[in-house]
Amino acid sequence: MLMIKRLMTKYIPAMLTCEEIDDFLYDFHEGQLSYTEHLTFKLHLRLCKECKDYVRKYKNTIRMSQAGFTKADPAEKVPEELIEVILKSRTKK
Amino acid sequence: MKESPSTISEQDKENQLIDKLIGNDDLAYEILVRQYSARMYAVARRFFTSDDDAQEALQKAFIQVFKKISTFNKDSSLMTWLHRITVNEALMIIRQKKRQNTLPLESFTQHYNEHGERTVFSDNSEQSLMEGLGHNIEALFEKNETKFSLNELIYQLPEKYCNVLLLRDIQEISTKETANIIGISEASVKTQLHRARLLLKSILEQKDKDRLEDNWKVN
Repeated sequence: MLMIKRLMTKYIPAMLTCEEIDDFLYDFHEGQLSYTEHLTFKLHLRLCKECKDYVRKYKNTIRMSQAGFTKADPAEKVPEELIEVILKSRTKK
Repeated sequence: MKESPSTISEQDKENQLIDKLIGNDDLAYEILVRQYSARMYAVARRFFTSDDDAQEALQKAFIQVFKKISTFNKDSSLMTWLHRITVNEALMIIRQKKRQNTLPLESFTQHYNEHGERTVFSDNSEQSLMEGLGHNIEALFEKNETKFSLNELIYQLPEKYCNVLLLRDIQEISTKETANIIGISEASVKTQLHRARLLLKSILEQKDKDRLEDNWKVN
């Protein structure tokens, strides 16, 4: 697989290198690559285990950082004592 | 035709409320706090694991609102303005929480060989240790105590990375709005967010590697 990747990178101008995968990764994740860019990105991942793993971990990092924080419910009530404190802080001055 | 009171638009209602707030109307302040605090609290809650921190952010945000309401120029909706103030106060609290030694930036440097191919691992034994990482790391973060330390890790990122990651990935605020809040260009938001993710990724990998090595020693 490594040889195929090297040959394709050498002889197919549109083929991305691992370094270029880094450059395209943000836009790939944001869904902002053009159709052709998206295809060449995916083709590289098919041929390169390291990059496939790298992209998977990049996505996992985002997912886990989101899961690490509370998804707050906008309907959650603010404690009445806190509302009172806030209102009093205005009149205190 | 003259508009009846029942058909007053939400925008008109908001403008009336703002005018009363600027006029220092006590009832208007009570309406403001009761009507908007839940949504502002939800914004603050998303930054912190502790209710105390979220409540502190909300309280400080309202202090700023009371101070600055006369300068509100209605360029945005009232909620957008309140949201921005809440975000700024939350970031301020996080800044105060930051330890002096933030995490080094070098740890996410990528390595490539002469063919431009990724060389993540320095030797085979390290590679075999890291191969299962993708799965192990998820199991690790399912635990609540790790959830807490993950937040702490994000807080310890260099400030520019921490802020952009919190706003874009955690609060899911648009690139444009994030750029406005932090005061940088949209291009810088994208660059810093990508770097923040890479830095966090390599820190998590290192932590997981350390954990596996510890387990190896114990067994």
